[in-house]
Amino acid sequence: MTQTNDTGQEERLDRALRSLPPGVEPPRDLWPRIEARLERMEAEAPAQAPRRAWAWQAAAAVLLVAGTALLTATLVQRSRDASLAQSPPPAVQGVRAMPAVFGPAHAPNPEYDAARQQLSAMLQQKMAQMPPSARQKLEANLAEMQRAAAEINAALDQQPGDPLLEELLLNTYHDELAMLAVVNQLTSTSDAGTPADATRMQL
Amino acid sequence: MAEAQAGSEIDRAREIAEERALVEAAAAGSTLAFEKLYRRHVARVHGLCLRMTAQRETAEDCAQETFVQAWRNLPRFEVRSGFATWLHRIAVNAVLAQKRRRFESLGVDGSVDDVIAETLADANVSDPGARRDIEAAIASLPPGARHVLVLCRVYGYSHEETSAMLGIAVGTCKAQLHRARQLLGARLESAEEDR
Repeated sequence: MTQTNDTGQEERLDRALRSLPPGVEPPRDLWPRIEARLERMEAEAPAQAPRRAWAWQAAAAVLLVAGTALLTATLVQRSRDASLAQSPPPAVQGVRAMPAVFGPAHAPNPEYDAARQQLSAMLQQKMAQMPPSARQKLEANLAEMQRAAAEINAALDQQPGDPLLEELLLNTYHDELAMLAVVNQLTSTSDAGTPADATRMQL
Repeated sequence: MAEAQAGSEIDRAREIAEERALVEAAAAGSTLAFEKLYRRHVARVHGLCLRMTAQRETAEDCAQETFVQAWRNLPRFEVRSGFATWLHRIAVNAVLAQKRRRFESLGVDGSVDDVIAETLADANVSDPGARRDIEAAIASLPPGARHVLVLCRVYGYSHEETSAMLGIAVGTCKAQLHRARQLLGARLESAEEDR
């Protein structure tokens, strides 16, 4: 009986601890002091500046990819019902994902490449059912993502083996795959796998 | 239903993609992106530091140090691992380093406990009294027991993760948690009797 009471008490205690809010705002904004320290650090390490300049451009490309993926997914979700209700427009000519261009040291995992090809093929079929405006946006966004990947690849040619660029490139393709999977899922009437299945794949 | 699920899936994907992009931009030198990361994570980092140190000024210093160290080490951060968990590890290191530097226990006296408890109880919406009691009881625990309790029970880290963060053996971690819960239970009971 005592043991039961103890267990009940411990459970209540654990519940109470778990219910505490993890976040507690500091009484004042710490950012100005942090920013001042970062500026001092940067001033003391000028040798890093040139690397950061191009790296920022590459990261901006990745930001663009993330934004593009979101825009496309949202757009497709909004237009899904409308597109299914419409009669299918004529098949889209020449809408095909550009082949991935990896640098020599960045050959993709064959499994990843196969998944990407499969999703791209499925997407071509689905795109025929989409309203023209949504289809155009999707095409433009896919092209933008591939352009970003090409830019990072070009930077890699100049800085071969740079770990940050390698990471950026792999993330770009990872985001593209996730976006293709999300679009496919949203335009699909049958469950042919989830984006998580695709994105879980190792590059 | 499926629509809502897809919506939340997109929200989650967006959050992850945004965070990853911010981390990459910050690693590439953008303080603007890093400030956005700071705004997203400062409350959790400060909450962790405040509960671990039980001292407001020290907690602020540790939170500040956490973000400075994060900036310094961002280029080495593995983008696919969790940024929040990585920040928490840095925060724990900052707390432990602060403790070592001061050569003092981070235990607190009663007056400071009250301030800490009230600060932490501000976030409560259902029962400020009960939460204040719990926060005060946590703040009054001995540092070792408090660190383990906060990481394991408030922030949900496993014994393995907690022991790795604190640099202690898993067995020690379990023993400290057991001790912390016993002390906490006794102090809460006594607080209830005092009401």
